[in-house]
Amino acid sequence: MEDAEFDRLLKICRLRLSSSERTAIKSDVKEILKYFDTIEKVDTGSLKPAYHPVAIEGRLREDRVEPFDHSDLLLKGTKTHRFYVVGPDV
Amino acid sequence: MKNLGEIKDLNQRLHFFSAINDSAKDAARFSVKDNICVKGFEARAGSKILSGYVPPFDATCVERMAKKGYNFIGKTVMDEFGFGSFGVNTDVQARNPFDEKRVAGGSSSGAAVATAVLKDHIAISESTGGSISNPASFCGVVGFTPTYGTVSRYGLIDYANSLDKIGLMARSSEEIRKAFDIIRGADRYDTTCTENGITDSKKKKLVVIDQLMHGIDDGILASFEALLAKLEGMGYKVERTSLDFIDKAIPAYYIISMAEASTNLAKYTGYKYGRQLDAFTKKYNEFFTEAREVFGMEAKRRIVLGTFVRSASVKERYYTKALKVRALLANKLSELMKDAFVISPTMPIMAPKIDEAAELPPLQAYAMDSLTIPPNLTGLPHVSFPYDYLKGMPVGAQLVTTHFNDYALLDFVGKWEKSFDYKFKYNL
Repeated sequence: MEDAEFDRLLKICRLRLSSSERTAIKSDVKEILKYFDTIEKVDTGSLKPAYHPVAIEGRLREDRVEPFDHSDLLLKGTKTHRFYVVGPDV
Repeated sequence: MKNLGEIKDLNQRLHFFSAINDSAKDAARFSVKDNICVKGFEARAGSKILSGYVPPFDATCVERMAKKGYNFIGKTVMDEFGFGSFGVNTDVQARNPFDEKRVAGGSSSGAAVATAVLKDHIAISESTGGSISNPASFCGVVGFTPTYGTVSRYGLIDYANSLDKIGLMARSSEEIRKAFDIIRGADRYDTTCTENGITDSKKKKLVVIDQLMHGIDDGILASFEALLAKLEGMGYKVERTSLDFIDKAIPAYYIISMAEASTNLAKYTGYKYGRQLDAFTKKYNEFFTEAREVFGMEAKRRIVLGTFVRSASVKERYYTKALKVRALLANKLSELMKDAFVISPTMPIMAPKIDEAAELPPLQAYAMDSLTIPPNLTGLPHVSFPYDYLKGMPVGAQLVTTHFNDYALLDFVGKWEKSFDYKFKYNL
């Protein structure tokens, strides 16, 4: 992976690495991707991807409004303004 | 608790609890891995990014244990978000009670140590690629990972949703069975959790997969052969077989788990919960990037790799292919286990020293999961049980069966326990 591609990846990841982290992770990525490439040899025929290891029925809850009395607990530990979470500029 | 002081003193040395419940009672105690929510107790999942996060609710498994009269005793330490095999990828490293210079395994390191030092206790832990079997083996306890989807993941701080399984550690299969029957079963808060019946289809044949025996420590290999001879003496038939591509379970597992982890970790934004930044004048991307600086090295490595393998240009080559390899191996293993259990040592090495484990290059560390990854990748139930002690350290074997045949594993270990006494250094 070239430097430019690695930098683009870090930007997508929203990660800022120190110089030593950058050197180590860039080298690790190269080695690990080489290892990942070994699955190319596996003949998987016409098998479909297994998104789950066990068949999941995908039961969904009924879509209806339920009362919830604990919004104060959910907001505890965050900065709030009028029951809204305060966040950075978008 | 009468011996609370002793437990706290030992915890100062072995670092198995990140928090202790001072008001816990003596009997029927249970601990909870730090990535599972307990109301009122900080849940960090071993990460600095969740510092200060105190859940306002109990995970379903915790709520069910408490309703049946079990007493919550403490949160157990772990590798950050489960990213590790030795318990060293976090700020506080648990120590093995059999040799304090050695690791307790990972990622459920604290759960295994707590089980090895406490009596009348059961540990609720979690496995993604081997995080129950591995530390259970290193610490000489029974570690049970149920079929994927049998225990609700509501209240679990996720690592990789299609691989995460809440399971149990204890000093006997009987204690595990009791707790398993309490925590399993459908849950309206987890739509992937199933009500499927659990079976007890006993097998008299044990299959050893040749490819899994490569790279195992000589001492462990010799000891494992002696175990097989004992099991033959107990009436089991042992067969050796080859299973193509079983070695590809490791890269397939790491591709899928890193892909899922890289998306899951995106929810730690620095203002909703856990670590709080107050630099609100910064733009979102800058703010978000700053919040993520506290991730450990392994977490950063997995975010980079997981993000890459999901990229549109390479997704088919890595992520989709890995999902197909999972389908292939699930089919092959299920076919192989129609009339047999698969058995192997749990770990290819003895518990390493803490400083040695911390220095292992990533690929070498990942290779240590060669025996625990196949059943985890494919959601198959498995159990690790102690079967020998080499130079004073416990050694575990791992038994695997078909989906939902979980009781058969516990039945097998129950029979084994009648002929073998587990050793514990502490009984607090």
